[in-house]
Amino acid sequence: MHRLSLLLRNKPGALARVVVLFSTRDVAVESLSLNPADADGLSRLDVQVRLREGRSVDQLVHQLRRVVDLCEVSAA
Amino acid sequence: MNGALALIKALEAVGCETVFGIPGGAILPAYDPLFDSAKIRHVLTRHEQGAGHAASGYAQATGRVGVCMATSGPGATNLVTPLADAYLDSLPVVAITGQVARPVIGTDAFQEADIRSITLPITKHSYQVTDPDDIPHVIAEAFTLAASGRPGPVLVDLPKDVLAAPAAWTEPEPPVVVRPRLDPAGVRQAADLLARAERPVFYVGGGVVRAGAAALLLELAERTGVPVVTTLMARGAFPDSHPQHLGMPGMHGTVAAVAAMQKADLLVALGARFDDRVTGSLARFAPEALVVHADIDPAEISKNRRADVPLVGDCRDVLRALNASVTTGGDLGAWWAYLDGLRTTFPLGYDWPEDGSLAPQYVISRIGELVGPEAIYTSGVGQHQMWAAQFVRYERPGSFINSGGLGTMGFAVPAAMGAVCGAPDRQVWAIDGDGCFQMTNQELATCALEGLPIKVAVINNGNLGMVRQWQNLFYGSRYSQTSLGSTPDFALLAEAMGCVGLRCSSRPGVDDVVREAMAVRDRPVVIDFVVGADAQVWPMVAAGTGNDEIMTARGLRPLCDSDTGEDL
Ligand SMILES: Cc1ncc(C[n+]2csc(CCOP(=O)(O)OP(=O)(O)O)c2C)c(N)n1
Ligand SMILES: [Mg+2]
Repeated sequence: MHRLSLLLRNKPGALARVVVLFSTRDVAVESLSLNPADADGLSRLDVQVRLREGRSVDQLVHQLRRVVDLCEVSAA
Repeated sequence: MNGALALIKALEAVGCETVFGIPGGAILPAYDPLFDSAKIRHVLTRHEQGAGHAASGYAQATGRVGVCMATSGPGATNLVTPLADAYLDSLPVVAITGQVARPVIGTDAFQEADIRSITLPITKHSYQVTDPDDIPHVIAEAFTLAASGRPGPVLVDLPKDVLAAPAAWTEPEPPVVVRPRLDPAGVRQAADLLARAERPVFYVGGGVVRAGAAALLLELAERTGVPVVTTLMARGAFPDSHPQHLGMPGMHGTVAAVAAMQKADLLVALGARFDDRVTGSLARFAPEALVVHADIDPAEISKNRRADVPLVGDCRDVLRALNASVTTGGDLGAWWAYLDGLRTTFPLGYDWPEDGSLAPQYVISRIGELVGPEAIYTSGVGQHQMWAAQFVRYERPGSFINSGGLGTMGFAVPAAMGAVCGAPDRQVWAIDGDGCFQMTNQELATCALEGLPIKVAVINNGNLGMVRQWQNLFYGSRYSQTSLGSTPDFALLAEAMGCVGLRCSSRPGVDDVVREAMAVRDRPVVIDFVVGADAQVWPMVAAGTGNDEIMTARGLRPLCDSDTGEDL
């Protein structure tokens, strides 16, 4: 299980793109919570995910960074 | 000014010269000012899929953004295949779609399809514009995103009322594109490994073509003497005539290219992504190789094969840096002796069909020789595609345009149409299959009307040949649903669409018919090459097996059966 913390721009489709990416890459979402971030126009998305065996969380982080409306992502 | 005019002005401002598309209700406002544009040529395709692949062909022929346009609903959904295609092959394409008016979005209105959601996993980014004032900068951003970093398709969805509403014009800002800064330590490590390697290989992918880095690759290759393999997406990135070129690796690669990767002690991957069609079984792929992986997209590095030295960067920057830091390579004499041995023993070749019919490989190699390396070649997907990759000799980057990642049947004709729009001075030849041709040949009507003189060589084996080959090899020759029969008459079909239709079914006729086609300059030409049905694509690494098991013909496994190279 991995905890990811994402900072997203409040743009239409930003959340959908992240969620679809999980589905496309066969990442199982265990929990997900979206809240307004401190900064204006941004939201914080906290997710717990389970990866397929042999897949790395670094790779997922790189794939998430391709999302144009993602400002930050960190994995714990 | 309304949103529609802002759209057309914005397209002009970002340098768009050609749009492929089909109008309809929701996008109609945009077609009104487009009618007056002196800078933009609109090519009215016969199917939106054709418009999308044409945009891809245009992008690859020019290195610039290709643009397609469609109305809402079915117009937009017809773009799904080309968008997925452009996504997997990293092509800079902008798709502009009409959408139902804002007040009715989400009500299942007439011709409403949520195209943004539908295309989320196959677009780099997408927009739905809700404020007409945003149009100029959204268009500018879309173009910049499509072409920068790792290129990819971007969708701009425009509700009809936004197009019709008054809009303020603001000149789009010129894009600021920052290329990732190369890590100098990585470059030094890569240069060190190159200096020490005994069996190095440059594994060149489409990224080198996208980056316009072919000349820098040639320089590095000659500086180091390292063997080069070019993937399906990179054919032409390194000249086929160059003695260091081993050809294409992968499922239908040359024995020398496949063996080079398999036995290498160092793979330098340049803008390539270790696709399963190249690696075969990953667990058994290149077991002794250290990997230097250069790619502009960090998400590609170590995705399939762990990189020992990751190099995130544009291939131009990577190759420039390597050229500056690599002195000379080590002694590659033994390595070349082994590879040259393989090249001599297992050259690409083919047998003539026993029934006296025409060999498809012969047709394709003659086209390549007569038409020459200055032309652009496109292909569909199937056996003819692999033969076009194997038997045409490419000398220029981007001269082979085909659907690599998605493997989209029907790509050849519309991609050729797009390519000739972008490169009107070059001959454009589509090498197509009879199955593929029947998916998208209606764009020949577009080509005839628009005066786009593409040439189409239909490699007519009467079958979905590649599928039939798999049925022959893996399903006990049970040819379920792969015979296409002998209709339609492709030459007559071509004539019906305003093209010249020709046919050839014998060896002595091939050169003449190709020359006859080359002489036609005012219309598209279709040549129906009636070829044998049983020709197969060799060599082959069967899906899921290791590259060591490459077969040069049914049951013949040169790398397994012999000890060649074991002592290297
Ligand atoms: C749109 C699409 N549908 C199905 C396939 C599966 N497929 C791959 S090759 C092939 C046969 C292609 O036939 P043809 O165009 O005649 O080419 P050939 O292999 O005979 O040269 C098929 C059906 C595909 N790649 N794309
Ligand atoms: Mg066929």
